[in-house]
This record gives sequence, structure tokens and C-alpha cells, in this order.
Amino acid sequence: MEPLSYFLILLLALIGTPIFIVMSLFGLTAFYFAETPGAALIIEMYRLASAPTLLTIPLFTFAGYLMAESGSPKRLLKFAEAAFGWLPGGVAIVSLIICAFFTAFTGASGVTIIALGGLLYPILMKEGYSEKFTLGLITTSGSLGLLFPPSLPIILYGLVAKTDIDKLFKAGIVPGFLLILILSLWSIKNGGLKGTRIKFSLSNLVSAFKGSFWELLLPVGVLYGIYGGITTASEASAFTALYVLIIECFIYRDLSLFKDVPKIIVDSMTLVGAILLILCCALGMTSYLVDEEIPMQILEVMREYIDNKYVFLLFLNIFLLIVGSLMDIFSAIIVVVPLIIPIATEFQIDPIHLAIIFLTNLEIGYITPPVGINLFISSFRFGKPVTQLYKASIPFLVLLLIALILITYVPSLSLFWFN
Amino acid sequence: MIKEIIQKLDHSLEQGTRLLLIACLFLMLGLSVTGIVLRWFQISFSWIDPFVRHLVFLSAFLGGALAAGSGKHIAIDIFSKILESWDNPRLLKGFKVFISIVSALACLWMVVASIEFTKSELEFGKESFFGIHSGFLVSIIPFGMTLIFLRFVLRVFLIPGKAEE
Repeated sequence: MEPLSYFLILLLALIGTPIFIVMSLFGLTAFYFAETPGAALIIEMYRLASAPTLLTIPLFTFAGYLMAESGSPKRLLKFAEAAFGWLPGGVAIVSLIICAFFTAFTGASGVTIIALGGLLYPILMKEGYSEKFTLGLITTSGSLGLLFPPSLPIILYGLVAKTDIDKLFKAGIVPGFLLILILSLWSIKNGGLKGTRIKFSLSNLVSAFKGSFWELLLPVGVLYGIYGGITTASEASAFTALYVLIIECFIYRDLSLFKDVPKIIVDSMTLVGAILLILCCALGMTSYLVDEEIPMQILEVMREYIDNKYVFLLFLNIFLLIVGSLMDIFSAIIVVVPLIIPIATEFQIDPIHLAIIFLTNLEIGYITPPVGINLFISSFRFGKPVTQLYKASIPFLVLLLIALILITYVPSLSLFWFN
Repeated sequence: MIKEIIQKLDHSLEQGTRLLLIACLFLMLGLSVTGIVLRWFQISFSWIDPFVRHLVFLSAFLGGALAAGSGKHIAIDIFSKILESWDNPRLLKGFKVFISIVSALACLWMVVASIEFTKSELEFGKESFFGIHSGFLVSIIPFGMTLIFLRFVLRVFLIPGKAEE
């Protein structure tokens, strides 16, 4: 009876039942068969209300939607063209870097796509990149930057694995840049070489800079605030939302506080609600997986058949890619990290190196079909079928897998600062 | 006549949710900025952070209710796209109604489970920030899930109507 129930739930997921409903049903069914009251699932859901960085999700999203609905994309495009239009693939590279920094301090992968996707999509399309490339780039960029400080997954990993967080921050820098470098080269190949290039003009650059001054100040201020240790991510999100609201409504006057802003709030919060509900229900499902020690059982099987460090790393990558595409990064860290550390230690894998392999895998898991969460968020954000997102993200997935192989089998990339 | 009542009820729920959501966002924005500014002057109110987090938590359900009403929840949409390509509106309508019924039933199960949890929290919980009892704070879940449940139920009746238009 129990396997049949799970099969039916899986079937419901495949025919298009909302993911949060599928996760709720899975959790409730699992607790039912375990003869545990359904309230246990609700207790786990309520844990979300105590997450310290919860505020960043609605506020960064709201700020992103405000910018996307205002004249901001046009102004930033003008500046990007003036500053980088002469470079092959310049705008795409800038997009990758902005997304990476944004993800580094929001920690939650979906936020980048929602907040910056609406901004970057028209810019990249106008630059002449194909829709497939643009969607793939934004979907991939949604989790790019998780290896940079002060990314929340790094902090969480350090806490769970009892590894020095400062060391982890340093360790992620070189692999993080490697991912950006590989995707930048792909961007140059895809658009930069065949695209039209603009002749550099200092006067155009100054004029575009003046036009978008208040918006250009935003990433600088936010990054300086967070990396300079002046504000936390939550505080930065509050200031960002207020700042964007003021500049778009009262300085640029692109948006009306009473006409446009309420509609933008409703649009952005509908998406936030859809994402947070999935997160809530993922907490309940994770609780069941922990209780049943399911990841432990999978790893036990691995342990029986693998006796070589390199084969272990290969299987670890495959396992983590599956985990990353099924679970959110925070749940995955909490559930899986304590289980793999003893086995990795047995195979003499450096704990810092293991952390970077782990986080890179989960970063890639976000765009792994069929259920990588970035694919669904992009599908929602841009109103495109998820199958189109699968096709768009596959070239990026292949490139990130190449980077993952390098990160896995060249430990000096992660241990660059320590050798 | 019944359809009109359902439409009005759905519209009222939509408008009420929107207003509450707008108020929540302005409150969370205003309170968090105020809290940060006050901290610069060594003034702090310990209730601001948990209150704001609960506003976000409430917004999750309100946003979820809007997504339920407009069919915008994140889902694996391959099957529905295949159905759309078959150009069979009746089959597509039936399929959407089926998904809404399943979703409504699952939400009902969640409502029952969350009421259980709220009851025990009201009995064994304690006062949280601002003197609010934790039982009232967790009642956000049954309230939110009921709202989402209602939107899915009303959608069952409104999907054919919308498609006919």
C-alpha cells in the first residue's frame, strides 16, 4: 500500500500537480504510514518562520520586480553597451558577474533569477543573444556565486560539518571564478564574436553613467555594505527595497506609488509565496528523510562497492547531483553532510576540498533536469514551458559538469590559498 | 446564479488577499528599516525581527493563495503542454479541474494537520514576542492553508467558466 501511494504521488507530480502539493502529500503520507500525526509535518513547516535570512527573499524579489518594471533595464542596457559593447560577449559576462555577486549574498538561488532575470532578459535579447542562450544563461546564473563569500550555504556547511568558515570562504574563490570563466568563454563564443560591436566613446559612457547613476550605485552600496561587514544580508535587502522604491518612484518617476507599486507587490509576492511554500514543505519532507535515514542507506550501499578514492568521488558527484536537483540546498546540507563526512574521511579527502565539491554539485543540481528548481523558477518568471528551459540549460549544464570534474580531481583549485 | 456567487466570492478573496499582502510588504519593509536605523542610535526592539519574519511567513501563504487562484504554482508542466498541443479544450479543462481537486484535497489534509498543531500549541505553547501567544502565531498555517484550499475549490468551478469565455 505504501509503495503504491508514493507511486501515485510521483504520478501526480509528473502530470503537473503543484510541487508544494506533491511535497505536502509525500510528507503527510510518509508520516501517516509511520503512524506519526500529520502535525509533525506542520511543526517542520513552522521552522521556516525562524530562518534568519527569510526577509531577504521577499524584499530582494520586490526590489528586482520594481527595477524590472521601471525604466531601469533600458538605462542599464545603455550603460552596459557604452561600457562593454566593444568587448566580445561583454554584456553576458557582466550579467554572469552581477548574478554571481547577487547570489553570493542572497544565498537563495531562486531570488537571483526573479530579481535580476527580468532585468537581464531584455538586455541580453537586445544584445543579439538567442532566446535559448539567454534563458540558459539566466537560469544557470541563478545559482552561480554560491561559492563566493558570504554565501549562506557556505556558512551553513561550516556549521554542520564543523569546518572553519573563514577557510571555506577563501576556498570557494578560485573554483567560483573558474565557473564564471568557463561560462564567460561560452558567452563570447555564442554572441560576442558574431554580434555587432559598438565603437567605444567616452562621452557616451559618461552620459550613460549619469543617466543610470542611482541604479549603478545600488550593487556597489550593497556589496560594500555586506562585504565590508556594515550590514547583514537581511538589512541589505531592506535598504535595497526602500532605495529602489525611492529612486524609481521619486527620482526617475518611472513608477507611480499608488498605481504601479501595488500591482508589482502582488506580482512579486505571488512568486515569493509559490517558492516559500515549496521551501516550507521541503522542510517536512527532509524531516521524514532524516528520520528514516534514507540518504544513509544509499551511502551504505556505496560504501559496500567502492574502495577507491577516485571512484568514490565520481559516485559522490552523481549522488550529490541527484540530491541537488531534488532538494533545496539548505535541507541537502543539513541532511547529507553529516553522512558523507565519515566516509570521505575514510578515503582521505580534505574536508575543505569536500565542502567545495559538495557545494558545486548542489549549485549544478539547481539546473539539472527534470526537477532542478531553477528550471521551474525561470519557467515561471519568463512564462516559458519548462521543457524549453531544459533545452536551454543543457549546454550550460555540460560546461558546469566539466568545471565540476576539474574541481573534483584538481584539489589544488580549492586548496589554492592553503598550499 | 450560483456561478455568479462563486465568481464574487473568488473575487472578494482575491481582493482581500491582495490588500493584506500589500499591507504585509509595507509593514515588513517599514519595520525592518526602522529597526536598523534605531539600532544606529543604540535603541532596539526585540519584537521587530520575529514579527517581521512572521509577516514574511504569512506572506508566503497569501502569495500561495494568489498563485492558487491564478494557476501560477510551480509544477512540472510537461503533461499540460502536451495536452495543449493536442488542441482538445475539453480534455485540458478536465485535466485542470482534476489537478485543482487533488490540490484542494491535499490542502484540506494540511488544514486538518495544522489545526491539530495549533490546538496543541495553544495548550502547551508560551508567550512569544510582543506578548502574543505562540498558538496564535502558528495559526497563520491553518489560516493560510484554508485560504489556499478555498482558492483551489473555487477554481474547480471557475476553470470551465474561464475557458468558455
